[in-house]
Amino acid sequence: MMSGLRMYGLLFRASIRSRMQYRFNFWFSSVMTAIISIVEFLMLAVILLKFGHINGWSLAEAGWLYSVLSLSRAIYRTVASDVHNIESYLVSGDLDGLLLRPIPVLTALMSRNVSIRFGEVFQGIAILTVSMSALMREGQIGWLSIPLTIFVIIAGALLLFSIGLLTASAGFWLTRITELQNITEDAARTAVQYPVSIYPRWLQGILVGIIPVGFANYMPGLFVLRGDTGWWMLPLTAGIAGALFALALFVWRFGISRYQSTGS
Amino acid sequence: MLFYVLAHRTYARNLQYRGAHMIHNIASAFFGFIYTSIWTAIAADQPLGEYGSAGIVSYVAFNQCSLWVAAFLTNGLGIEQSVRTGGIALELMRPVHLFYQLMCKEWGQIAYQFVYKFIPIYALYAIVLPMYIPSSLMIWLSTAAALLLAGYISICVNYIIGAVALWTTESRWLYWVNHAFSMLLSGFLIPLEWLPEPLAFIARWSFYPFLHYIPTRIYLGISSPLSLLGSLAWAVLLTALCLGLTSLMRRKVEVQGG
Repeated sequence: MMSGLRMYGLLFRASIRSRMQYRFNFWFSSVMTAIISIVEFLMLAVILLKFGHINGWSLAEAGWLYSVLSLSRAIYRTVASDVHNIESYLVSGDLDGLLLRPIPVLTALMSRNVSIRFGEVFQGIAILTVSMSALMREGQIGWLSIPLTIFVIIAGALLLFSIGLLTASAGFWLTRITELQNITEDAARTAVQYPVSIYPRWLQGILVGIIPVGFANYMPGLFVLRGDTGWWMLPLTAGIAGALFALALFVWRFGISRYQSTGS
Repeated sequence: MLFYVLAHRTYARNLQYRGAHMIHNIASAFFGFIYTSIWTAIAADQPLGEYGSAGIVSYVAFNQCSLWVAAFLTNGLGIEQSVRTGGIALELMRPVHLFYQLMCKEWGQIAYQFVYKFIPIYALYAIVLPMYIPSSLMIWLSTAAALLLAGYISICVNYIIGAVALWTTESRWLYWVNHAFSMLLSGFLIPLEWLPEPLAFIARWSFYPFLHYIPTRIYLGISSPLSLLGSLAWAVLLTALCLGLTSLMRRKVEVQGG
């Protein structure tokens, strides 16, 4: 386990070093992603500034939901970068090369083409700070919410990683998974950028029960922001993330044992 | 004739992947559903001006369909790719103007996306959402014209984005920045009159509203077909810009090697 982590750290740093050879490109694209994600949030902000609240959720609360999710996602995509891009390895047969390496395939994938998502991190921290300080000024949340929020972000990162890994594992059977990722990762995550209560019941059920992204921000948010539900919501969130991660690892191992190269 | 051949080829190439595209439509329709849910939640508490709660759902749903005609085109019309491979030198040498070639290809893409993306998603929305369906032929025709012009404007914009690659070798980021601004300023999710002032001002003086806001308002019967004059003016202006840019490009081609 320890040597695995050390190996991951080594490869991770090597990957960053190679990316930093194109320094201008790196910073420029970071600035661009920050602009893009801020503009995305601006859409929701404009609506909420105009109409006050959405289903009882204020702009500050919606900002918290939005930024917690983007920070979780930034951590997930930084730590596990190429897990999301497994399709190109499967289609081109490049995964065969990784299988020959003396390290686990997952470790190898996670440490390839690492990009630190400064843009999203900056955007997330900025919106989170503004939202939380507004909520604190109104006395809706206290200082305790800061460690709780960090906890939610980390649990959310694990949850998003697990969903991503499960989807990636499906690639061992399906090979092409872009469309599936579009549903389980992109669409589901976009949906929970907004308060889940705005959706019809069946969709709420999916977002909490089937693809449980709702636990990355909305469900723990009910407790952290409003004191609804109860303190048990936080261990439940961590439990769901942990359980899903265990399941994803199991499916991944099973899938890799069934892997058939495309042979090209 | 050349137009048909080039357009048809892109269309036919896309046809190979229509199964995957159909699955992708589920995700795309779902995104639209998220946006309509936002407005349904807002409309629960307050009237929404001239749109009303039913109108705003149709507004957003129609915008989601028209993304496939007016927004999701080939990234920079593929110019960035050919700058990297060096193919751009060949393409500029052909006896057909680069802008015309790429435009023809892109119309094939748009035609395909209209048939296999726009129509299925529209049909789905017509069944599951309280979607407004116009009854006058005039409105259908002017909506079609508005969408054609929107597609054309988008082709021009993507051509300009692609052309930037000749100076920077990379223009992908510009595509996404354009996309993000388009979502905000084209009235895709928020009708322009509800944008706060600096944004509304920028939007009014840009081509963005002609991609979504104007076509959809024509579809809903709120705007008169006369607003198409604006689309037309932008189309002419952007065409001139594209042609001017091409003559600059001819002098700027650098072979990247490889």
